[in-house]
Amino acid sequence: MENIISIFVKSVFIDNMIFAFFLGMCSFIAVSKTVKTAVGLGIAVIFVLGITLPVNYLLNKYLLTPGCLAWISPGLADVDLSFLSFIIFIAVIASITQLVEMVVEKFAPALYSSLGIFLPLIAVNCAILGGSLFMQERGYANLGEAVSFALGSGTGWFLAIVGIAAIREKLKYSNVPAPLRGVGITFIITGLMGIAFMCFMGIKL
Amino acid sequence: MNRNSNTYTFLYATILVVVVAAALSVAALGLKGPQEKNIEIEKKLSILSSVGKDRGVKEAASKNDFVETAYGKYIVESFVVDGNGNRKEGDAFRIDIAEEYNKIKAVITAKEEDKQSLRAQLTLPVFVCKEDDGAVKYIIPVRGVGLWGPIWGYLSLNDDFNTIFGAVFDHKGETPGLGAEIATKAFSGQFTGKKIFDGEVLTAVKVVKGGAPKGDLHAVDAISGGTITSNSVTDMLRDCLEQYKAFFLNGKLKIEN
Amino acid sequence: MEKEPMFSAKILKLFTDPINKGNPITVLILGICSALAVTVKLEPALVMAVSVTIVTGFASFIVSILRNTIPNRIRIIVQLVVVAALVILVDQILRAYAYDVSKQLSVFVGLIITNCIIMGRIEAFALGNKPWPSLVDGLGNGAGYGLILVIVAFFRELLGSGTVLGFQVVPESWYMKNGGFYENNGLMILPPMALIIVGLIIWIQRSFNKQLIEK
Repeated sequence: MENIISIFVKSVFIDNMIFAFFLGMCSFIAVSKTVKTAVGLGIAVIFVLGITLPVNYLLNKYLLTPGCLAWISPGLADVDLSFLSFIIFIAVIASITQLVEMVVEKFAPALYSSLGIFLPLIAVNCAILGGSLFMQERGYANLGEAVSFALGSGTGWFLAIVGIAAIREKLKYSNVPAPLRGVGITFIITGLMGIAFMCFMGIKL
Repeated sequence: MNRNSNTYTFLYATILVVVVAAALSVAALGLKGPQEKNIEIEKKLSILSSVGKDRGVKEAASKNDFVETAYGKYIVESFVVDGNGNRKEGDAFRIDIAEEYNKIKAVITAKEEDKQSLRAQLTLPVFVCKEDDGAVKYIIPVRGVGLWGPIWGYLSLNDDFNTIFGAVFDHKGETPGLGAEIATKAFSGQFTGKKIFDGEVLTAVKVVKGGAPKGDLHAVDAISGGTITSNSVTDMLRDCLEQYKAFFLNGKLKIEN
Repeated sequence: MEKEPMFSAKILKLFTDPINKGNPITVLILGICSALAVTVKLEPALVMAVSVTIVTGFASFIVSILRNTIPNRIRIIVQLVVVAALVILVDQILRAYAYDVSKQLSVFVGLIITNCIIMGRIEAFALGNKPWPSLVDGLGNGAGYGLILVIVAFFRELLGSGTVLGFQVVPESWYMKNGGFYENNGLMILPPMALIIVGLIIWIQRSFNKQLIEK
C-alpha cells in the first residue's frame, strides 16, 4: 500500500510528465489558453491514462514479455513478441479513446459536450503512450502499482496544464516583447515552472 | 467497392494487420541475432571493466572481438551460489540479475526466521577472473534502485574475499552530471582497496556525503549534488553483499585458518 | 497534364520551408513532446533527428500511396499502424546496430509514434498529395524539427558538460577543480532548460521574421 501511494506522489510531482519528460507538450501548449478548456483536457487525460495503462499493463504481462506466453501452453514459452509492443499499445490507446468517446456520447451527453472534443486529440497525446512505455520499462510489480502510476501521471499532467493556463490568462495583461508573445513566453514559463517543480526532487519516498 | 462499407473496412484492416505483422516479424527475427549479441557483449564488457580488463576497448578495431577475446582469456570460471554460501547448479552468465534483485528484496523484508529458507532460493552468480600473473579475482553483480530507475554494477574482490579490487557502475536514467556520475571512473575508482569486512562483520562500503574520513577503509566520497543516487549505491552494496556474505565468509575463514 | 520535374522549385520549397518559416517546432508547435528529453547530449539528438526525419518521410510516402484506399472510419488507426510499424523498424535497427544510442533514447524512440509532426503532416499534406511531394514534405519537416533539436542539444552539451559530441571543448585547465575559473552550468542538463532554450530560439527567429509574431 505504501508503495502505491509513493508511486502516486512520485509521478505527480517528481516524475511529472510535462516538467520532467515533456510528454504531451503539443496539446499542453495548444490548449492552455484558458483555464476552463485546460481543466477539460486535463480530466480527459487522467481518464484515458487511467483506462489504457492498466489494459496495456495486462497485455504486456500476458502477451508481450518474452516467454510470458507460457500460460497458454508451455510450447509457447520461447515466443518473444516484445517487438510488437509499440503497435499494440498505440492500437489499444486509439481504439479505447474511440470506444470511450462513443460510450460517453451515448450515456453521458453532458460529459460528452464538455470532454468529448478532447478525446480524439488524446489518441496522439504523447503522455498517454509515454505512460504505457514507462510502465513497460519500469516494470511495475502489480496492477495496483500500474493504476497508481497512471492516475498519478494523469494528475501531474492535469496540475501542469491548469497551472500554465492560469498563468497565461494573467499574462494577457503583461507587456511581453512582441517576438516572444504567445508560444515563446509559454515555453519559457513552462521551463521556469519545471525548475520550481524540481524542488520536489529531493523528497525521499 | 464502397470505401465506407463495413466489409471493405474490415477487409482492409485484416490485410493491413497481416502485412504489417509479417513485415515486422521478419525484421525482428532477422535483427534478433545482433541485438542479443549487443546485450551479451555489454554484460561481458562490464564484467571485464570491474577488473580493469576493458583497457584498449575504445581503440580496438572490433569491440565485439576485443570483448570476446578478453573475456575468454581472463574469465576462467563462473558458478552460482545461494544466500547461505552453498554452490548451486546453473549458468551464472544467464542469470537475470533484475529478477534476482526482486528475490533479494524479499529476503531483506522477510521475518528473521524465514530468511534462511528464502536465501536458499537465491541464485547468485560469481565470476572468477585469473590475471596474467595468476592472481584470482572474484566478480559479483550488484543491483539497486536509484533516484529515477535501476542502478547496477559489478564488484571485483581479491582472493582474500575482503579487499575490493575494482568496481563499475551503471544506471538507467540518473540525472546527467549529478547522479549519473556514478558511471564514471572517477567515482568507481575510489572503491579500489576498500574492505567489505571488519573482522567477521560485513560493513560493505558506504558512500558518504561531504567526503569520507581519510583512511576509512569502508567509505568513499559521495557525488556532490547526487545525494540520493549516492545513498542508493550504499544501499545497493549493503543489500547485495549481505547475500554473498556467507559465501565470502566461508572463503575468508578458510584462508585465515 | 504536364508532368512535374522531380526537383522543381515547388518541390524544393516543400523541403526548405519547414526549416525556417514553417518550422514544425518553433512555428507550428508540433512534435515537441518526445524530442526535448533527448537533447542533453548532441549524439542522441542527432540520431533522434535522423530517425524522425526518416519516419516522417516514409510515413507520408506510404500513406500517400494508400490515400485513395483507406476507409474513412479507421483512417487514424491505419495511419497510426503505418507510423508504428516504421518506428518499430527504426527501433529494432537501432538496437541491433547502434546499441549505446538506443539505450540513451530508451522510450523516446517509441514516442516518435505520437510525435505530432508525423500525424500532422500525414493529415495536412500526404492525404491530399502524390507520393513524391509527400515524401519531400515529410523529409523537410523532419529536417526542420531535427535542426531545432540539434541546436538545443549543441548548446546544452556545450554549456552543460563542456563537450561537443563527447569531445572536450572547454579546456580542462579552465575548470575550478584544476585551478581555473570555469564551471559547467549544471542547470543546462536539467530538463527545464531545454524549454527555455526553445523559447529563446523562438524569440530570435521571430525578431527576424516579423510576420510570425503573434498578436
